[in-house]
Amino acid sequence: MSTTGESQDIEQATSAVTDAPDNKTRRYDRQLRLWAASGQSALESSRILVLSSSATATAILKNLVLPGIGHFTLLDSAIATAADAGNNFFLNAQESIGKPRAKEALPLLRELNDSVDGEAVLTDVKELLKTEEGRETIRSFSLVIAHNLDKDVLDELAGLLWADLTNPPLIAVRSAGFLAEFYTQFHEHCVSQPHTDGTPSLRITRPFPELLQWARELDFDNVDPTTHAHIPFVVILVRAVDEWRAKHDDRLPITPAEKNDFKAQVRAMKRKLDEENFDEAEAQAWRVWFEPAVPSEIAALFTLPPLEAPASSTKTGADLPPSPNPAFHALLRTLNTFVGSPGGPGCLPLSAALPDMRTDTESYVKLQNLYRDRARKEKEHFTELLTDIFPNVAQEINEEELDTFLKNSHQLRVLRGRKWGEWDKDKAAVVESLQISPRETGTHLALTALSTLLSQTPDGSSVTVDALRAEVHALVGKDVELPEEAELAIGELARSPTAELPNTAAFLGGMVAQEAIKMITRQYVPVNGYCVVDLIDSTTGVVGTP
Amino acid sequence: MSGFDAARNGRSAHAKAVLGPELYARLADTKVLLVGAGGIGCELLKNIVLTGFGHITLLDLDTIDLSNLNRQFLFRKKDVKQSKAMVAAKTASAFNPNVKITPIHGNIKEPHFDIAWFKQFDIVMNALDNLDARRHVNKMCMAANVPLVESGTAGYLGQVQPILKDRTECFDCVPKPTPKTFPVCTIRSTPSQPIHCIVWAKSYLLPQLFGEDEDTGGELDEAEKQGENAQEIAALRKEQTAFKAVRAALRSSESQGQGPSAAKMVFDKVFQSDILNLLSMEDMWCTRAPPTPLDFDAIVNHSFVLQKRADAGSPNGVHTNGQTSNGASAADASNATQENGANGASSSMAGASSSSAAKLKDQKSLSLKDSLELFVSSTERLAARVRAGEDTISFDKDDDDTLDFVTAAANLRSAAYGIPGKSRWEVKEMAGNIIPAIATTNAIIAGLIVLQALHLLRKSYNALRNVHVQFRPNLPLSTIRTSLPNPNCGVCRDAYTEIQCDPFRVTLSEVVEGILGSGEGDEDGTGSREVSVYEGQRVLSDPDWDDNNERTLESLNVTRGKFLTIVDEDGEWGTIQVGVGVLPLNHPVDGPALILPAPLPKPPRKPKPSTPTSAPVEPPTSVKRPAPDDDDDIVPLAKRPRTNDDIVSLAKRSRTNGDLDKSDLVTPSKKRKLDEDGLLLLETADETLEDVEVIEIE
Repeated sequence: MSTTGESQDIEQATSAVTDAPDNKTRRYDRQLRLWAASGQSALESSRILVLSSSATATAILKNLVLPGIGHFTLLDSAIATAADAGNNFFLNAQESIGKPRAKEALPLLRELNDSVDGEAVLTDVKELLKTEEGRETIRSFSLVIAHNLDKDVLDELAGLLWADLTNPPLIAVRSAGFLAEFYTQFHEHCVSQPHTDGTPSLRITRPFPELLQWARELDFDNVDPTTHAHIPFVVILVRAVDEWRAKHDDRLPITPAEKNDFKAQVRAMKRKLDEENFDEAEAQAWRVWFEPAVPSEIAALFTLPPLEAPASSTKTGADLPPSPNPAFHALLRTLNTFVGSPGGPGCLPLSAALPDMRTDTESYVKLQNLYRDRARKEKEHFTELLTDIFPNVAQEINEEELDTFLKNSHQLRVLRGRKWGEWDKDKAAVVESLQISPRETGTHLALTALSTLLSQTPDGSSVTVDALRAEVHALVGKDVELPEEAELAIGELARSPTAELPNTAAFLGGMVAQEAIKMITRQYVPVNGYCVVDLIDSTTGVVGTP
Repeated sequence: MSGFDAARNGRSAHAKAVLGPELYARLADTKVLLVGAGGIGCELLKNIVLTGFGHITLLDLDTIDLSNLNRQFLFRKKDVKQSKAMVAAKTASAFNPNVKITPIHGNIKEPHFDIAWFKQFDIVMNALDNLDARRHVNKMCMAANVPLVESGTAGYLGQVQPILKDRTECFDCVPKPTPKTFPVCTIRSTPSQPIHCIVWAKSYLLPQLFGEDEDTGGELDEAEKQGENAQEIAALRKEQTAFKAVRAALRSSESQGQGPSAAKMVFDKVFQSDILNLLSMEDMWCTRAPPTPLDFDAIVNHSFVLQKRADAGSPNGVHTNGQTSNGASAADASNATQENGANGASSSMAGASSSSAAKLKDQKSLSLKDSLELFVSSTERLAARVRAGEDTISFDKDDDDTLDFVTAAANLRSAAYGIPGKSRWEVKEMAGNIIPAIATTNAIIAGLIVLQALHLLRKSYNALRNVHVQFRPNLPLSTIRTSLPNPNCGVCRDAYTEIQCDPFRVTLSEVVEGILGSGEGDEDGTGSREVSVYEGQRVLSDPDWDDNNERTLESLNVTRGKFLTIVDEDGEWGTIQVGVGVLPLNHPVDGPALILPAPLPKPPRKPKPSTPTSAPVEPPTSVKRPAPDDDDDIVPLAKRPRTNDDIVSLAKRSRTNGDLDKSDLVTPSKKRKLDEDGLLLLETADETLEDVEVIEIE
């Protein structure tokens, strides 16, 4: 490419402006469009411990290394077998047989992304669990993923990680042939970006002064026809509500008849039949009777009972109950205060985001500016309250976290989890689940039975249909009749108790990595419970939700 | 047993235990066609190699880009710009020495990938990202009667569909949404949304300056016929002619070293003269806000002020760009526009556009001066490439020069029209039709594809499922049984057959009569009957119009890989699709020019339908003009005299073939047929069809 002196000068002069994205942004372009820079930076600072370097474990890890986690440790003392070589893409085929599996897999996984740091530790997790130093090592990761871990070891690991609110979450994965399940153990998971398409309130029934002023002062009857046909539906509805209240003792339409009357009132504001902005206002009239000050799901968060900290738990803050997410709870409490605050709007903070609507550019930009200015004022008020109540949090929180929280205040989520294996102790719940979701529950029980048998005979020699059925009965009670679906799962596991199938591994690799990403980025809503997978029928289902 | 055999046995132990020895043994001899080596393709290739498929043909036309590496795990940084198929095959082959992978760097729509070629495969798996290719493979699989597993992903969502002719719905049994289009005048003179300005920069301005030197007057002719504003069209024609001068300036070496003269010329033309030209038509701006011509020098020295909208009447500085000095980046206004759902930002970007603190470099908004500087620099970069010998430059989202150009030009145009601007990041997504893509979804989908493929190969058709990966934490997969084909599907309900021929020697009537056969017995076709014959959208003959019957297929541009569609005139027989293949290699030179299939196809007999639906449903290949609602005027019933509208469209075509009797172009019987089928006469603007007398239908 030949360039003249002049154009080079121009290029240099404008390089500060163009800011072509760096290679990292280019590499991650497609995923940044999903979870943005904040999600990416959470991924990049994560450290993940993976127990086992089986085909499934490496498939999961592949999908975490590609998008760019910070670090991973493969903890595995196993030696690669011929079967490993046949189903694990991250081994050097025949050459790896007889060599330490984790060490063989490491370079092939690291090769996927040179900005990810990784190591292979050829130790059995049992050894780590024996010493305090080892246990501390396990606790130091941001997430632990275990595949087909021995039942007793998994119980011990789950217990270790459950012992403190601030310990990392655990994803336990079990698979055999076409059947599998995974479970994420966490005390509490707070999501401020659930991406659930919830619609924030537009304040139609609680207009802020500038919006009300526009709606009241606009001369609907005398503006020119073009303007009339481009009045934003928000302004139309605010005006209609204002007029309705004046005629109805300051009440909103409640009964179906009143709602119809209200819609008729909006229709009557039309000058011409084809004014689509008024059609839109009528279609959006539900906002008038469905814009609660605080949605019930969010109100429920205000009264959420505090977590019961395990006896061993360390404290997380003097002014808040114990929680792995003190900052989120500080914001949540402030939000509650904000709603009741005399200086506030009496509802959740305004979101600056406007939906698409039929209007002209001028009106749209004007409306956008009104909402943006108002949202900024309410954010200032919120920040004042936060500084007042939680000065430390106010100082430490970054602007972006605060903005994200406020913007999504109508769809915040707090999930409470349960210890791995806890559900199975509640026999009545499991038996009930066996009736409601026979396939998923039956498969879960069969997999649990299988892991019990395999912990006795790792080669699978003791796994028979009868032995599996006996174990399942031990779990649910002897007189519980097993549904056909449970019998099918038992039969399938007896057929291939130790087979790790590449397609099951690939599928689980995607599913489990997806859950890991949700946990790490705190975006999107993770599965809470045992996600049971049956790939003969290509189905999934969730049982044991707390 | 040798050591190697032992190892081989060991490595397949798991697969055998689960698949059963019989199916597992068959996999080694199974021939798979994998179309696409991208996000899904890489995952799928790994899975089918591991599952034990013995023969894999991998086809992809693309080369590796840096932005692929976050999910297409068979590629490394050093492979960027290499063929995806070649690199993927090489990486995956190393894993299993028992697998034979044949990579093809090519387009699946190339003519030599004909029915005979598809028939060599036991199963086809689609890992494609575009509708056109997916539909093509679907049709070829219907024609060759090869099972297909179809798939796609978008962000966290994805789906897998097993397809088998006559057993399940095909890809086209459920209509697919067509891409959104905009009226010409919206793009060229009255944009109201950022996407209009982006489309203008990408599909109009960039090709005008750096694309092929072609007369785009045709588009305006079309627009005029569609009834768009004649005055606007006239102004746009004037605009057109002035492009010749700036094109020349950009290519002239003399413009080098004289400051940004060529880029400034372009700027002055498109953002000043053209806008002044449009403004001169006052009628246009009675009901809409007029644009503001931009002044290059004033923007550079910070003295430019966009005119305040006459009717804006905003209390608090609505048009921040316009009312403040334009040199400083209008950060406040752009924060607002980032969240502007009204202007085409897809919901998938909600996450990406939400953050203010952690904004990526190219997510920041551009001030008017920023846009101008970016316009000058990108125009100069593109001009330098053209001067260095690059013939034409078209938009590519991964080509920074074109992306910068489109970003800058779209933002300048938006400023002139008072439309909110878009960052480079957003323009890339909107102009490049970018769909977010991550490793996890592709892994999930690829696993599901193989499972459906195994069901198809095992012929356990009851186990086939359409699977959707959805966005529900309580139910990650939605699984539904496959449905029977849509009886009205214009793709999979046709009867497919194949001929081998020399298109230079065989005539249309030889093929059609040959395929229809004598009608005696079960194996000799339906016998002669009244039919119309199409290739794609083109009508080649019908009962009352036989001009093409004695012409060779080659002269009608019906060559290898194409289909002749034989539609029964009375709608009593199903439609026959005749795939055109070549003669076998060992065919004697003086042998017959046509080898017919045996037995001849016998499509199902239908009761005379009230609304036949047998016409091809290919998407239109050129700009088309739907007839007015009152279609009696344009598609008269049999024997009615032709109307003026018909004469206009026919006269235009007849210029390309002077000796043609116009009345033969549209025969009354064809009109009747078209009318019955709900088909309408349309314009054709497709240059390649000029030597053939055709009417486009829809």
